[in-house]
Amino acid sequence: MTVRGPAMLKIEAVSKRYGYGASAVTAVDNVSFDVAAGEFMSIIGPSGCGKSTLFHVIGGLTGADEGRVSVEDEPVTAPHPAIGMVFQEESTFPWRSVAANVAFPLEVQGVAKRERLERARRFIALVGLKGFENHMPGELSGGMRQRVSIARTLVSEPKILLMDEPFGALDEQTRLLLGEKVLEIQQELKQTTLLITHSITEAVQLSDRVMVMTFRPGRVKRFVEIDLPRPRTAEVMTSDRFGHYVAQIWGDLREEASRGMAAQEERVRTHPGV
Amino acid sequence: MAGKVGAMKKKTWLRAEVGASRAIACLVLLALWQAIALSGLFFQDVVPSIDRVLFAFWSVLADPLFYRNLGVTFGEMLVSLAVGCSTGLAAGLALGGSPFLSRAYEHFLHYLGSAPKIIFFPLMILWFGVGPGSKVGMGVISCFFPVAISVAAGMRAVNPVWIRVGRSFRASPLQMVTKVYLPAMRTPILNGFRLGVGVAIIGVLLAETKLSNQGLGFMVMQSYSRFDMPRMYALLIIVIAMAVAFNTLAMRLAGSKP
Ligand SMILES: Nc1ncnc2c1ncn2[C@@H]1O[C@H](COP(=O)(O)OP(=O)(O)OP(=O)(O)O)[C@@H](O)[C@H]1O
Ligand SMILES: [Mg+2]
Repeated sequence: MTVRGPAMLKIEAVSKRYGYGASAVTAVDNVSFDVAAGEFMSIIGPSGCGKSTLFHVIGGLTGADEGRVSVEDEPVTAPHPAIGMVFQEESTFPWRSVAANVAFPLEVQGVAKRERLERARRFIALVGLKGFENHMPGELSGGMRQRVSIARTLVSEPKILLMDEPFGALDEQTRLLLGEKVLEIQQELKQTTLLITHSITEAVQLSDRVMVMTFRPGRVKRFVEIDLPRPRTAEVMTSDRFGHYVAQIWGDLREEASRGMAAQEERVRTHPGV
Repeated sequence: MAGKVGAMKKKTWLRAEVGASRAIACLVLLALWQAIALSGLFFQDVVPSIDRVLFAFWSVLADPLFYRNLGVTFGEMLVSLAVGCSTGLAAGLALGGSPFLSRAYEHFLHYLGSAPKIIFFPLMILWFGVGPGSKVGMGVISCFFPVAISVAAGMRAVNPVWIRVGRSFRASPLQMVTKVYLPAMRTPILNGFRLGVGVAIIGVLLAETKLSNQGLGFMVMQSYSRFDMPRMYALLIIVIAMAVAFNTLAMRLAGSKP
């Protein structure tokens, strides 16, 4: 077990429901955890278990029904300056060029045009899009657009990086390479990182700790400490211990994922055509 | 390759055919018009012969008074578009941005928006007089509603992810409007403006023909009351051309890409 620093991000007994009465859905139920300064933590759970809901609550975009989120003991009630978010959905601005998209957070902060374009260019190169600065998002592939939104969040160099399935639209190779890049930046800036993912290998490859969530209501099922040396080289990733972690998490997840699938089948049976 | 050339040939041939068909239709209509004018079927001058309309057309174009009145109508149009579009935009943003305001007031916007604006004309005369003021008033209330309705609906249709991105980077309310909402709403806003231009023209010209002392509508009615039919037709042609020009301009604006 690694020694963790003081808590940077604290989630205390957070619950969130959608809807009222009989049709109410508890998306997140009594979830608590800390993320230490500089820690890389992943959240993994079946589709629809409430990961994005939790992500929005932590980012200060939606209020929790119960519980609280705090950054260095400061309660989060609105988007916090220390937090940068990468969204699961396609989120580039189609009316802005790649460079203008990436420079957006700096523009909002009032950074001078020269400087923000320079900084944007650095992060565009970092996600492998050098040469596409003046392209419009509509001219890029889905995976390239997702890299633009990753660069857009990285450029503001947030102390806490929240990412909701940021590599979801990417192919395996790009996903691995980009994961390494993000990890490099994270280590360099000592960023506290919370990654939501549905890839078990990705979670084990990148994280210090993985949190597995249950399917509806979304609760904490288990924390898995990933006690593997860094950097996570190909050698580490092919080791028995790596495989052991993957198998352990898959065991937990399998149960929840099958419950999720069953719930969806049930829904199709009882609400045909929905 | 041969097939492609053949298809292209066919297409240009079709276009030529369309043009020819239109030209023939025009000629037939003009011939019909001329025949009726010469037949004496109608009371004298109700359908003046084409040469007399053309002559009146030239004399209108040579008349300095025409240009003064054209300027008045043009000015009324511009002012009512500026005021109607900007107030409509502001109201649309307020309604689209606040579920409360929308719940409280948007019904009225739809009711008033679909009412014929000419019923407000007496009020406009009372408030702003018989001069250009009341015409601008009519143009503004015509333009305001379609712009406000279109902007409000467009604002609600903005992709919520873009809003979340803006908020997550802590954009101020003003930055949210200028950097997220307005660019995201380009199409509905321009569509609203386009509809607004169309009805503003109707509002202004209708008001001018009802009661006024200046403007193109006034000149039309003046010719009518003097029973100067050739001049009236000539003016109508000019008014229609102006309306078409404004509408085409607005359509170009709405359809163009940045
Ligand atoms: N705005 C909303 N209104 C009502 N229900 C919602 C809303 N957003 C999410 N839900 C419901 O809450 C539950 C959790 O959704 P959430 O998006 O957090 O899942 P997720 O874990 O991110 O799934 P995925 O991995 O597929 O992205 C789902 O059952 C969903 O139907
Ligand atoms: Mg999600």
